[in-house]
Amino acid sequence: MAMTIEAVLEGILFVFGDEGASLAQLSDAVNLPSETVKEILDDMANTYKDEKRGFELSVFNNSYKFISKPFVREYIQRILTLSKTRTLSQSALETLAIIAYKQPVTRIEIEEIRGVGCDMMLKKLMAQDLVREAGRAESAGRPILYEITNEFLDLFKLISLDELPHLPQYEETQMSEQQLFE
Amino acid sequence: MSFTVNSTVFEGPLDLMLHLIKEKKLDLFALDVDVLIDQYIAFVHTMEKMHLEVASEFLVELASLTEYKSRKCLPRDESNLDAEEYQKDTREELVRRLIEYQKFKEVTETLQIRFEERSMQIAKPIDREVLRMAEEENLNFLQADSYDLIKAMKRCLQRFHTVSNTEVRITQRELSIDQRTNQLRSIIEHLPEPFSFSDLTADCLEVHLVIVTFLAVLDMLRIQELIFTIEDDEIWFRRSGYDGYDD
Repeated sequence: MAMTIEAVLEGILFVFGDEGASLAQLSDAVNLPSETVKEILDDMANTYKDEKRGFELSVFNNSYKFISKPFVREYIQRILTLSKTRTLSQSALETLAIIAYKQPVTRIEIEEIRGVGCDMMLKKLMAQDLVREAGRAESAGRPILYEITNEFLDLFKLISLDELPHLPQYEETQMSEQQLFE
Repeated sequence: MSFTVNSTVFEGPLDLMLHLIKEKKLDLFALDVDVLIDQYIAFVHTMEKMHLEVASEFLVELASLTEYKSRKCLPRDESNLDAEEYQKDTREELVRRLIEYQKFKEVTETLQIRFEERSMQIAKPIDREVLRMAEEENLNFLQADSYDLIKAMKRCLQRFHTVSNTEVRITQRELSIDQRTNQLRSIIEHLPEPFSFSDLTADCLEVHLVIVTFLAVLDMLRIQELIFTIEDDEIWFRRSGYDGYDD
């Protein structure tokens, strides 16, 4: 039988659907070291990026799943009435960004950066499963610490938090560089 | 000083300040705090004049800016170095906060793009059959926290919806007592006497219809179309031979 590891992995991922399969599960299945499987999966992910494919391999937090390409949605909409896509307000985005870069972080720390109260926003984000509690800080009053969830990584197409875009740095050196370009 | 209000919604005082800096083309790194403060105060006053509710955060910031400005206006006591120190610190602290906030504000633009792209993409749910087969086996080494539990519950409910997604419409058959009386008359014609109440409700699928039938029977008794006896928890009827019409 001339089946390839790729075919097996593809088949598994197809069946697992939106639950996704972890790297550990996949390497168990094909009985290969996870580094090897990761390489194969990375290659596969690259193949799916081809415009000829209607779906791609999404990776976040070592979990793999197939998702349709953005351009497919428009065509689906011709067949099915899709509800409007979820939106996030600017304040939600700011709060999420601060948590993602600074986690684990207390509410007060978030509020210091944003300059506004974030109590309700945090509750909302937690209800949406984008933020969760991560124990308590050792400082006075033992305030609750917050961190982002896997749901957040998926929602922002991040493989892991390391993938977050770099925070802009406004150091003097960079400024002069910028001025040079102007 | 003239001041035009734009309708942008500001996320907070820092957002407003950054907007003012951009609008007045101020340099964030060599910030002229006085101009910023004047603009800020003017803005908050305009909001108040327009009877807009000014969020407390804006007022807190306003208070500290006003304090900073008033201290600057006081004649400087050369012997008091603290005052100068305070001014420098306040200005630096403000700039630091503005820069810090600006960083996150900028990064949200990138995140927004990623978010929008991802929200156009759809995954398909796991095959139900596989799930059913896998469930028992996986329960043994389940490691999860309370959030996983909430998520699992959510998914469970979603799946339940997918399974039972046939639209069910409950309609009540509206039947008046008069209509039922007429129906009963034609039913009775084919029934050997005596007939029981159960016979009359044999075609009733809902409690509602049983009640209507009962009311119809009461009416027929009232106009003496039927006569009844009760025996062994069952009501028995006979036609009276009197059709109730020719009075």
